[in-house]
Amino acid sequence: MTTHTLLQLALRSAAVGYVSLLILFPLAAIAHQSFIGGIDHFIEDISTPQASSALVLTLEAAFLTTVINALFGTLSAIVLVRYEFPGRWFLNALVDLPFAIPTLVTGLMIAAIYGPTTILGMWLQEGNITLLYAKPGIVLAMLFVTMPFTIRSLQPVLMELEREHEEAAFSLGASPWTTFWKVTVPSVLPGLLTGVFLTFVRALGEFGSIVIVAGNIPMKTQVASVYVYGEIESYNPQGATSVSVFILLISFLVLVLLERLTRPPGERMPRWFRWSKPPLPMIHPSEIG
Amino acid sequence: MFVSILVPVLLAWVAFSGSIMAGETKELMLAVYSVPKEAYERTIIPAFQRSWKQRTGQDVRIRSSYGASGAQARAIIGGFDADVAALSLEGDLDQIAKAGLISHDWRTGPHKGMISASVVALGVRKGNPKGIKVWEDLARPGVEVLYPNPKTSGGAMWDVIAIYGAGLKLAEQQAGSGKKPSAESAEVYASGLLKRIQKNVKVMDKSGRESVTTFERGVGDVIVTYENELLPRIKSHRPYEIIVPDETVWIENPAAVIDRHVDQHHVRDVAEAFVSFLHSEEAQAAFAELGFRPIDQADVQASARTSLPLPSQLFTIASLGGWEKISATLFGPRGAWTTIVEDLARGK
Amino acid sequence: MMRRLFIGSVWFYFALLLIGPILYLAVQSFDEGIAAFWREVTKPEALHGFMLTLEITAIVLVMNLVFGTITALVLVRQHFAGRTVLSGVIDLPFSVSPVIAGFMLILLFGPETILGTFFGTLGVKVLFAMPAMVLATLFATFPFVVRELTPLLQTIGTDTEEAARTLGANEWQVFLKVTLPMLRWGFVYGATLTVARAIGEFGAVLVVSGNILMLTQTATLHIYQSYVDFNYVGANAVALTLLAVSFAILTVLELAKAKSAAIVTSAN
Repeated sequence: MTTHTLLQLALRSAAVGYVSLLILFPLAAIAHQSFIGGIDHFIEDISTPQASSALVLTLEAAFLTTVINALFGTLSAIVLVRYEFPGRWFLNALVDLPFAIPTLVTGLMIAAIYGPTTILGMWLQEGNITLLYAKPGIVLAMLFVTMPFTIRSLQPVLMELEREHEEAAFSLGASPWTTFWKVTVPSVLPGLLTGVFLTFVRALGEFGSIVIVAGNIPMKTQVASVYVYGEIESYNPQGATSVSVFILLISFLVLVLLERLTRPPGERMPRWFRWSKPPLPMIHPSEIG
Repeated sequence: MFVSILVPVLLAWVAFSGSIMAGETKELMLAVYSVPKEAYERTIIPAFQRSWKQRTGQDVRIRSSYGASGAQARAIIGGFDADVAALSLEGDLDQIAKAGLISHDWRTGPHKGMISASVVALGVRKGNPKGIKVWEDLARPGVEVLYPNPKTSGGAMWDVIAIYGAGLKLAEQQAGSGKKPSAESAEVYASGLLKRIQKNVKVMDKSGRESVTTFERGVGDVIVTYENELLPRIKSHRPYEIIVPDETVWIENPAAVIDRHVDQHHVRDVAEAFVSFLHSEEAQAAFAELGFRPIDQADVQASARTSLPLPSQLFTIASLGGWEKISATLFGPRGAWTTIVEDLARGK
Repeated sequence: MMRRLFIGSVWFYFALLLIGPILYLAVQSFDEGIAAFWREVTKPEALHGFMLTLEITAIVLVMNLVFGTITALVLVRQHFAGRTVLSGVIDLPFSVSPVIAGFMLILLFGPETILGTFFGTLGVKVLFAMPAMVLATLFATFPFVVRELTPLLQTIGTDTEEAARTLGANEWQVFLKVTLPMLRWGFVYGATLTVARAIGEFGAVLVVSGNILMLTQTATLHIYQSYVDFNYVGANAVALTLLAVSFAILTVLELAKAKSAAIVTSAN
């Protein structure tokens, strides 16, 4: 075997080993807990009235969050990449902040600013709009923590998308609409899909901020992660892990789907999903701000 | 190559940082529930360190952790090597004992192992705009009630037990003097009251403390919580009032030495001294400062110090059949509270 | 015209979701004045929290840079059975609620477990000590470096490296002199996000650290402690400080990017 192949194998073992130890192994421990009573028990655990309500609520809220953040995220990404305006660096730096803010603080901020003690909160109360301790509050918290995903996944792709491609299409006579659909969209689709799917997956797992703003009334405003917490705290680890495993399974399927949909060309892929592969550059596109 | 040295070094650093024992100084690890933190940090711990030094000439370093009672119990069972646990519910200590970590009968100590006491009380906004006086007022439409989730909060369990027990007492009263209602009809009334109050709950925080902070943020008209949670806040000039209903439950908080850990760490003497110290005048005074009631109701001196009258229809966990029985009745899978919540969600 | 509308909408979105709440946090932290803010941020518990967070973040950053790069390289460059599974697993930490993340560490390293007793006999405390806190943070931050590098690796392909190899460079030289420089921005982004996320880690660390005062309380745990002690100013002040640090790092990143772009455009 060449040193190259040996090296490849070594790297592969390191990667697989690390991922297994850090992620697979611990998750397997959780799965083990949930299937301890057999698969019937697992199904029972996730179909109790409280568990199933929590799961449905979580999926609904996550889906809504994904749609909203996909729209606004795409818009934001386009604006941040394509337009120059005062304060652009500020917005760019803000985008990643939700990653840095402890979810506890996120929850407290949202509860404070929309709560009864602020002008905004009182205004909402007068207008009879319930934001906090109701479903909108849950979506709000999810929106906050998933905000970076779509923007961050789209930005590099948009930046890399050679203006030239679009200009080329124009010069060849294509209308803005055609350019958009036939050139822009296929190139950004992988980035967009990544952002969207990650948003969904992340929203499913959110806990710290939701538990503060949601109200957590079982079968009304209790999401899966809060339900899981309740079960762990009341000595029902099986019920807790079963619901968690269910969420994980959904996430895993979503992520696998994402991987399939965003594979680069040359790997058994539908032709219309294509990364634009620039010619060998002297200065790499990613180095251009 | 550089990496292959760096990574193990990092791992070694991580593994050994903080796990080196001091040696000469004794070290004691406390796991306490969140509410009495101030009493411990400000008064009890320093006072104990002084008294131990005086008695034995030894320095004792005390590490402390404050968190929800149930979470602390679970942490201890999960390997947190606390030497002494001072928790909110006897049920949590029992869990630790069940896991084999406490081998002595902690209930045989002074005051049956309990070190502080309180009652469940109601907090309302200053001026009591909704005119809340008795438990039935919490069931009125338009009144927003706050208490945490009993599944995650020991405090909430006390709260719900107080409501249920109050319901039983009220049923007795309604039956008229001299007549005793049937156990069933009393239970029906109590469950009914609990249901009507739970209906008015829009927010269930995950711990008692968080419930109080939510109340302080302006949410809710009345909060059901420990009296000793409300008293210090009122002392700090928070704009609310406290109402102690006639029918309420007597809360007792236990503390015990964790046998397995004290033997591992060879600190049994310090740990046992610390638990004793919790029963001492000094410690009890510190608790009283924070709004706790004296653990010994017969202790006239202590009672005079706190000047908190005993509610006329006070009841105890024992009168409800003990922790295991009442928690199963209320919070088990077929429990009254569990069913109530599900029924309410279904609109029943 | 459309341009104005779009830019305006984006500002509105950011203001509503992000800027508003943070401004409110800032105002609340100075509720009792600058002196109180300073006192809260410099008291021993806060400083200890900052130190601990810094330690954990540093360790996590190094580990992620190393293993994140390896994983990204393997994922993009190698084809093997299970690659899809590997890819699907990498982002899973995003969807694991911190309660479960903490719980699984307890399941693995608890007192009755193989791993737990193994490390116990070695005299190493995993749970309720640094190792578990680092593990929890590693788990939460793993996706970042990998996800920043994979698209980059996919785009640049192996051509340049092949060229270098045919010119006689050995593997190590190829890696250092060709691969790494091309991945530069991926590293920078990945490192930034890792640091930001590590600073903000809360839920899982709360479960596995034991929350021991002045020993295992990270900055975020200190915030939580302050909050439940009714010390709102303290909680907000430390939270604002953490945010400011993260924001500073992110701003430096933005400025570096802008400068690099300026160099490129002027060179053209």
